[in-house]
Amino acid sequence: MRKISVLMFSILFVVMMALSGCSSTSSGSGGSSSANEIVYWNPFTGPDGKNMEQIVNEYNKTNPKFKVKNVSIKADDMYKKIPTVVNSGKGIPDLTIVHAERIKQFVDNDLLTKYDDKLADHPEIKAENYVPAGWNIGDLNGSRYSVPLDVHSFVMYYNKDLLEKYAPHALDDNVITFDEIKAAGELAKKDKIIGIGITWTRPIFLSIYNQLGGDITSDGETPTLNTPEAKKALELLKGLVDDKITNKDGEDPGQLFKSGKAIFFPEGIWMQNSVNEAKNLKWGLTSFPQISPDKIVNWTSSHQFVMFKDKNRSEEKTKGIMDFLDYVRENSLPWAKAGQNPAALATLENPEYQNLPQSFLVKNPEMQNTLKIFDYKYNGFVAEEVDKLVGDAIYGKLNIDKGLKSAQKAVEDKIATNNKK
Amino acid sequence: MINAGVNKELKMSSGIEKHSGKNRINFSPYLYIGPHLILFAIFFLFPTLYGIYISFTNWDLIGDPEFVGFANYKEILFNQDSTFYDQLRTGLGNTFKFVLFTVPACIIVPLLLAAGLNTKPKGMKFFQALFYMPTLFSVSAVMIIFSMLYSVSFGPLNHYLNVETNWLATQPYAWITLVTVTVWWTIGANMIIYQAALNGISKDLYEAASMDGANSIQRFFRITLPSIRAQILYTVVITTIAQFNVYGQPLMLTKGGPTSSTTVLLMYIQENAFGSGISIAGIGAALAVILGLCIMVVSAIQFFFLRQRD
Repeated sequence: MRKISVLMFSILFVVMMALSGCSSTSSGSGGSSSANEIVYWNPFTGPDGKNMEQIVNEYNKTNPKFKVKNVSIKADDMYKKIPTVVNSGKGIPDLTIVHAERIKQFVDNDLLTKYDDKLADHPEIKAENYVPAGWNIGDLNGSRYSVPLDVHSFVMYYNKDLLEKYAPHALDDNVITFDEIKAAGELAKKDKIIGIGITWTRPIFLSIYNQLGGDITSDGETPTLNTPEAKKALELLKGLVDDKITNKDGEDPGQLFKSGKAIFFPEGIWMQNSVNEAKNLKWGLTSFPQISPDKIVNWTSSHQFVMFKDKNRSEEKTKGIMDFLDYVRENSLPWAKAGQNPAALATLENPEYQNLPQSFLVKNPEMQNTLKIFDYKYNGFVAEEVDKLVGDAIYGKLNIDKGLKSAQKAVEDKIATNNKK
Repeated sequence: MINAGVNKELKMSSGIEKHSGKNRINFSPYLYIGPHLILFAIFFLFPTLYGIYISFTNWDLIGDPEFVGFANYKEILFNQDSTFYDQLRTGLGNTFKFVLFTVPACIIVPLLLAAGLNTKPKGMKFFQALFYMPTLFSVSAVMIIFSMLYSVSFGPLNHYLNVETNWLATQPYAWITLVTVTVWWTIGANMIIYQAALNGISKDLYEAASMDGANSIQRFFRITLPSIRAQILYTVVITTIAQFNVYGQPLMLTKGGPTSSTTVLLMYIQENAFGSGISIAGIGAALAVILGLCIMVVSAIQFFFLRQRD
């Protein structure tokens, strides 16, 4: 009996240790850092993660007082983890990259440390040194809550040979319009080549919606999805589908473009590596297609540095964080090489950067003004509904009016439930 | 070994009781179930109870949960204008459809395969391994393979059938795809159970039946099926519960489309609680509790029939 109970207790003990061990290591991986370490969470688990690691490693080689520990976590997991660690107060990352659209929500919940008084020692971290679209996101209620890393836009790739063949003058004014795409698509039909691929429907729809004067919110609180402009945007896309200018439902537009069977391919600037896989493809990058050249809109999002509130973070360490941000501001080239546009204008002067295809988006203030971040507290709700709506609506599986109505209703209901007191 | 241990322990503990008063609690049974009990409490009991509590609150996962009584349930079950009312109806409807479509196939196909293997054909071991293999794959691996297989422009299926069917985004093909994938993926577990059961049927019964002139179909329905009734009922219950929890297949293959016709309830639960927007964990938890109750009711009905037959 004694032996057995000793055995049992030891098993129990081991199990308990294992369990508690698990929990402490999991928080330890992100949190309980040594005092001289800045724990830096980011969602860069893709190939771009390597470029971020390079920046961090090079910074650490400069022998700063506080070294940066780079922790990449899959975006979904990271956003689920943040409330948990911030609530528990243990293992809070010192510095975190979040998407621009999330910041309002974090500020509303009072989770972020303000940068205001910390900027005094780093005068170069200021509006003039950053792309406005990226910088303005972090300014809320007169305080600064974030510093931008990049502005990444959803633009359009084109096949140079096919453009030459079917629409040789379309790019003369540096803007491709939907009319030009349509004309080119009609010409290319006989060769079984499509005009434009329907790729990621959310930024496609939102860009057109904004060109027509619509936005996802009228006053920062009320969602505006069921509007005449939204209907017009969907009808425009549906028209392209009905005229067989686009790929068929279910066909992979990326595959078509890479195999030279599509003239235009709207995608993010971050997709360059994937497009480069096609060895014989000569491609170029230009703004997202427009309805008219007068108002150019390029859907954009931004990665932003934020600090989640942590009582235990020393003032000195915060200074170390600011040093790192200032370093990133001046040394963003590796990040640009990952296919992104750094938000810091310091990189802009680098000739190596100017040769990168995506740099056209930030090279002058006019182009910088075309970058539109759909910044809205309830952006996530809108995104969910738009994702359900657009594909089905433009491929004729869902009535546009009905779809817009229920999308609007769904966002309103989610907001109402969220605000119920 | 183990039995000996238990006996010894029983003797010992009764000995202790004699020595040290009457009200002494006997801890040894708890020692045996202890490890499991702790894991059960941490990973099952506590989350379940906490989930039920959350369903009575309004919570965004960040602040403190705020108790709202039955408000979430009222919204989901009775407010006909609410999006969540529609979500429950669509989600639960699609979940039930999925269960109805897949469970019969998930019982009949493995049963036929097991019956076939039970005749000990050549290469039986090979086929047994082949049929069991899919069960070992993870849902994401299976769904990636099948989304390639069903791809419109370069999928082998459309290539060999020489059609341009959009298997994943038009009905009824989306359902057909989901059901075939699920059946293919889950054949193994049930088949193994049936094989074991079929092995246990006495050969004498079959011999006697053939002497009486029963053909093979009669033998299957009169001897085979009644003999493995318990195993069939068990697999029906287990398969039903498993299919109610469907999530990965529609999420990865059809993404709930076209027009939400394959969006199952778990996808709405995930969207509300852990979606890209602010979390509405209360509604998500309430939907989950309702799904749990549905599974319980259906299982209870099945168990009821199981008991009655016995």
